[in-house]
Amino acid sequence: MSSARVACLTVPLFPLAARLRSEPELRGEALAVLEGQGDRARVVAATRTVRRSGVRPGMTLPQARALLPDLVARGRDPECERAAQEALLEVAEGFSPRVEDAAEGRVYLDLTGIERHFPAGSLQESEAAAGRALVAAAEAAGMPAWIGIAGSKLAARVAAEEGGSPTVVPAGEEALFLAPLPLERLAPEVRVAVTLERWGVLSIGDLARLPEAEVASRLGPAGRELHATARGLDLRPLTPRRPPPVFREGMELEWPLVALEPFLFVSRAALERLCRRMEARGLACSRLELGLSLEPNGHDQRSVRLPAPTLDAKVLLTLVRLDLEARPPGAAVAGFAFSAHPNEPRVAQLSLLGPAALAPDRLATTVARLFALLGPDRVGSPRAPDGHRPERFELVPYEPPPPPPVHREPRRGLGLLTVRVLRPPVALEVLAAGEDDGDEVAEGSPACGGDGGEPLPRRLLQVRSTAADARARIDGRVRVAAGPWRMEEGWWSDEPVARDYWDVELVGGGLYRIYRERESGEWWADGMYD
Amino acid sequence: MATHLQIAEWLEGEPGPGVITARELARRRCEEDRPPPLPTAVPELDRLLEGGLTRGRLVELVGERSSGRFSLALALLAAATQAGEAAALVDLGDGLDPASAAAAGVELPRLLWLRPRGLREALAGAEMLVTTGFPLVVIELGVPPLPGAGSLRGGSQPAWLRLARAARTHDTALVVCSPYRTSGAAAAEVLAARAEPRYLGSGASPLLLLGLDTRVCLEKARGRSAGATETVCQHLAA
Repeated sequence: MSSARVACLTVPLFPLAARLRSEPELRGEALAVLEGQGDRARVVAATRTVRRSGVRPGMTLPQARALLPDLVARGRDPECERAAQEALLEVAEGFSPRVEDAAEGRVYLDLTGIERHFPAGSLQESEAAAGRALVAAAEAAGMPAWIGIAGSKLAARVAAEEGGSPTVVPAGEEALFLAPLPLERLAPEVRVAVTLERWGVLSIGDLARLPEAEVASRLGPAGRELHATARGLDLRPLTPRRPPPVFREGMELEWPLVALEPFLFVSRAALERLCRRMEARGLACSRLELGLSLEPNGHDQRSVRLPAPTLDAKVLLTLVRLDLEARPPGAAVAGFAFSAHPNEPRVAQLSLLGPAALAPDRLATTVARLFALLGPDRVGSPRAPDGHRPERFELVPYEPPPPPPVHREPRRGLGLLTVRVLRPPVALEVLAAGEDDGDEVAEGSPACGGDGGEPLPRRLLQVRSTAADARARIDGRVRVAAGPWRMEEGWWSDEPVARDYWDVELVGGGLYRIYRERESGEWWADGMYD
Repeated sequence: MATHLQIAEWLEGEPGPGVITARELARRRCEEDRPPPLPTAVPELDRLLEGGLTRGRLVELVGERSSGRFSLALALLAAATQAGEAAALVDLGDGLDPASAAAAGVELPRLLWLRPRGLREALAGAEMLVTTGFPLVVIELGVPPLPGAGSLRGGSQPAWLRLARAARTHDTALVVCSPYRTSGAAAAEVLAARAEPRYLGSGASPLLLLGLDTRVCLEKARGRSAGATETVCQHLAA
């Protein structure tokens, strides 16, 4: 059985790397990331150009600007750094199921057995190949990283900080590797460090050579732990993290945005990063949430409805745009965070003998794009709700059942005549003949309106729509009127429906289904036979 | 073995009997490779269309108000969905009654219904559906005037040609139901529908509407002669 092998993947100047990942257009600029407010803000990390001009971590912004007037300054952004840390963890999880989040641009991963995936002449070569692949994957995710591989977390971290990535410490040689390094590489407590310096212990090897019990009795638990790490032992084993239920990307903006287009511009890059991260794990976004930090202290949280899991950043952006246009946030946006709830993309079993199923991922993307084009209330699979009113309908998400395993012939057509629904119903004026033969009466007169035993019109003579819409124009003398027949629905409810229907053929063409509300006596057309 | 000069001479002249051009050969191969047509389950339409809707072609069904074209469109959707195919209805007129469609035999879970507000949205949505691989897409344009028809730059012709090309590429049977000829040269086949109502009873006020007798005429058919006519009897549900 091989001993445990641990890799430490660390991103140097992490605040700077996270910022550049969120704003790649700043690459090549003289950029410094600062922490703090106003003139008291201090440099945390800076690009090589800035460092060459003499700017050092800890300097204030005025000091840095005095050395480099063209300095581009950015504040530390927790949202950016959180997203970058997540991205780094996901890179590591592509290589190992056991990954520990050490925060601040550092992750540990268990590489035991990696030689099976990177076969080479020796374990060291295999691990070096895996290390190179990890560094390449981190760079592809937008973060330059260093990696160290050793038998313990501490040795791996120290190896990673050596630079010249990947640095592989052969199994069992951790103590040998650490021995010549200065003691401060173990980052001891100040109290312990002062004591050891007084003893003349300057290197890790000096400490490892001291008797453990003597060190423990003089320096306490902190000293004992430090002594163990100096010998290459890990007192704190790797603690794998649980994958988060959501993927987050976002940033704090340099200045508040009041217009939609600039916001969408910065959102697009964030959504693309989000989609890339989910794609790398074989997932797709099934629900998108957007949190907005508003000026001065407001917050806006919204959820964007998706018809199916998708990885199309353009579609997500369009849906975000539609949501923001429909419900503007009401104040300037100072920061944002997208949270994508992942789900497994839909899969389909292909059929040899039956009709081909639509590719689920393409269908999901298409439906999402149709959502963006038409709006969510205009795309879906139709359903007939209970009741008899033809103008009603329901739309449900389109999830077609799998096609039959073998091709089947359709049944012979039923040859049904169907009604083209007029949605909404068209208001009509109807000229009708009343109960008395030959008496023409206008619509709404006592002869043809009302309820409770009042007579129905005997003959319908002319129909005319009152709406100005040309598409809803119904006008002409009645050639044939068949009816009436009655439809009642919901008599037990607050809004009962009672209608008398006629099928009306007009002289100029058109066969309509019209009705008169028994309650109000109003005339409407709700369909055309077609 | 033919020399270069002989081949050059052959190419300059008209192809002789039994000799076809490479373009024609490619077209025939393309036709042979196409999947079988989608049967409409309406025998009269199948006869007019020689077996059903040819995949990869745009068929236009023209009919004025109450010509029976909407019922025919639902019959096409019913046949496709009953065969287990996915189908889409781009309903510019927003006239679908789900209960009637289900009664006509449409398997609603297999039907994707789009309710665009204008012709531009309808064309864009239809193109997305075609490129996704839907075997049958029906575009129902409703009653005139078509909303948004005037907003298309250069008219709708380029859009129809583009849609027909996409349908050919993705083997989609594309049916355009319109109140007047609209797809122009993009349509491979054009069917025109006119209908006469049938009633139970006689006189000025008969008792009941029974249905429509729809005469469907093949007005255009690419690669074969047009002019055939069939009558489809459509009746109201009991």
